[in-house]
Amino acid sequence: MTADSQAETRLTRAADSAAARRFARALSRRPARALGRVITLAVILLWSLFPIYWALNTSLTTLSAADSTPARYVPSPLVGTSYKSVFGIGGASQDGISSQLGRSLLNSAVESGGAMILTVVIAVFAAYAFARLQFRFKRTIFVSVLATLLLPAYATLIPLYRIMASLGLVNTYIAVILVYTSGFLPLAIWILYNYFNSIPRELEEAAFVDGASPMRALLRVVVPVAMPGIAAAAIIAFLLGWAQFLFPLVLTTDLSTQPVTVIVAALNQQRIVPFTLMMACGVLAAAVPGVLALILNRYIVEGVTAGSVK
Amino acid sequence: MRTRLRRQLLPYILVSPLLVFIVALSFVPTVDTTVEAFFRVMPLDPPTAFTGVGNFRALFDNPAIVTSWVNTAVYVAIGVVASVVLGTAIAVALRRRFRFRGIMLALVILPWALPSVVEAVIWSWIYNPTFGVLNSALKSLHAIGGYHVWLGLDRWLTIALIEIVQVWQITPLSALIIMAALQSIPPDLYEAARVDGAGALSSFRRISLPLIRPAVAVAAVEALVLSLNIFDQVYILNGIAPLGSSVMLQTYVTTFEDLNFGGGYALSLLVTAATALASMAMLALLYRRTEAAVT
Repeated sequence: MTADSQAETRLTRAADSAAARRFARALSRRPARALGRVITLAVILLWSLFPIYWALNTSLTTLSAADSTPARYVPSPLVGTSYKSVFGIGGASQDGISSQLGRSLLNSAVESGGAMILTVVIAVFAAYAFARLQFRFKRTIFVSVLATLLLPAYATLIPLYRIMASLGLVNTYIAVILVYTSGFLPLAIWILYNYFNSIPRELEEAAFVDGASPMRALLRVVVPVAMPGIAAAAIIAFLLGWAQFLFPLVLTTDLSTQPVTVIVAALNQQRIVPFTLMMACGVLAAAVPGVLALILNRYIVEGVTAGSVK
Repeated sequence: MRTRLRRQLLPYILVSPLLVFIVALSFVPTVDTTVEAFFRVMPLDPPTAFTGVGNFRALFDNPAIVTSWVNTAVYVAIGVVASVVLGTAIAVALRRRFRFRGIMLALVILPWALPSVVEAVIWSWIYNPTFGVLNSALKSLHAIGGYHVWLGLDRWLTIALIEIVQVWQITPLSALIIMAALQSIPPDLYEAARVDGAGALSSFRRISLPLIRPAVAVAAVEALVLSLNIFDQVYILNGIAPLGSSVMLQTYVTTFEDLNFGGGYALSLLVTAATALASMAMLALLYRRTEAAVT
């Protein structure tokens, strides 16, 4: 057999078998396949959501129902007493949980919001310089900033505490915001650097022809186009800030600055707060990042995968 | 003339706030940790004095700290393997377009977005020995005869159950990174393999796997750094008991409860070095760029 006819036979056979398989799949395997797929997706959803559902379930029922055996998989009776009690509505709030939780949620918002704004502003300017401008030591600076991404919290925790203590900043919003910002900057730089590089230079060049300065081009041309990237950096910085625990555990000492993570851990440690209330606190502490993540997940995906494929 | 000078200075002006932050709050503290690890630093019992490797020797004489090193190695092993395997599975299941894919993605990301402290509190309720749903569900399925105390009795079981909580949180990260790599593979490759008669499994092994290898390496290193740093979940689910303690927890206890800053510094330095070495080893092992995997 000649090489040509061999190849031809193989091609025909391949085409035949492909067509046959497609036919067979259409005929019999499609229902099985679809079922397999639905089961796979259901398992993934169960794994991802069950603990969250379980917290909601417990927070929405009575303590005796939550403590029943075997467990009740739906909240019956469905009551809002845990939330009322956490908010201090209709009677005494247990151990001042409502004031603690309310204030700590505010603290979390100020600290993660402040860190988000500071991180994004600093990162936009610096990432633009790295992506577009030429200057000495650019590569060295860029690489050393990104290297701190791999620096574990261990490396800086104690010195940061001592620096803040020596400046008299322990238990202030400023200390928390500064420390968060220094931690989030490398990731924000990485996200924005990649995003700026994906924007065609022609856009700015048009602005330069019109006589704009680089600064003006950045603010008027690049920033509006880069909004998805900026949103990605901002939402990720905010979520990381909201989730912090170890640093605020060390840097904050009372309710004037303690974020909700520290308060939830403290309430949990008391071992006297019933689980229905504990779950209501947990749901409230997770509500802000949870809702943000659900609404803005597109930007999270963008930010988390920035540059990881290249 | 003035505008030219301004133009030359502009890049430095733009990066200087970043530099101030990174130098003052990352570089200086790291150097400080490295230096102070060799000093006796006790804020309540001065003076501070040079001790050479004294701090390090004391660390290895402390059984609680030695235990926490072994524990952390187990946390890392479980965390890296489980989050990468699960992340790859989720990435494969969600890579193609289908109805509700957007909603699925949003829901799958959720555990990553929530504070680990809150998640650990939720899981502590799931693991609860008397009323926990884990006991109840396993009993209903006849997988266990009676209710178990899950945490705090058996060392390896405690560590595994605590690490599951972290794996639950960080798996979405691995899934997203690996999914992005899967989506960048040209569909023609799969089509060609299909024409050649390759099944789903063999085309995953021969096309997907080699091409997502760099992404798997990135995901593995992220999981490595996160699990080496495990603190929140251990703090909530294990407290400060040595049984399931992690190195980060011991660093916290040594520094802020025993107020032995020198010991804390030494411990921090060791883990920083271990993190750097392990990440580099992991990258060297996994990160091989594959240009053309199909031959």
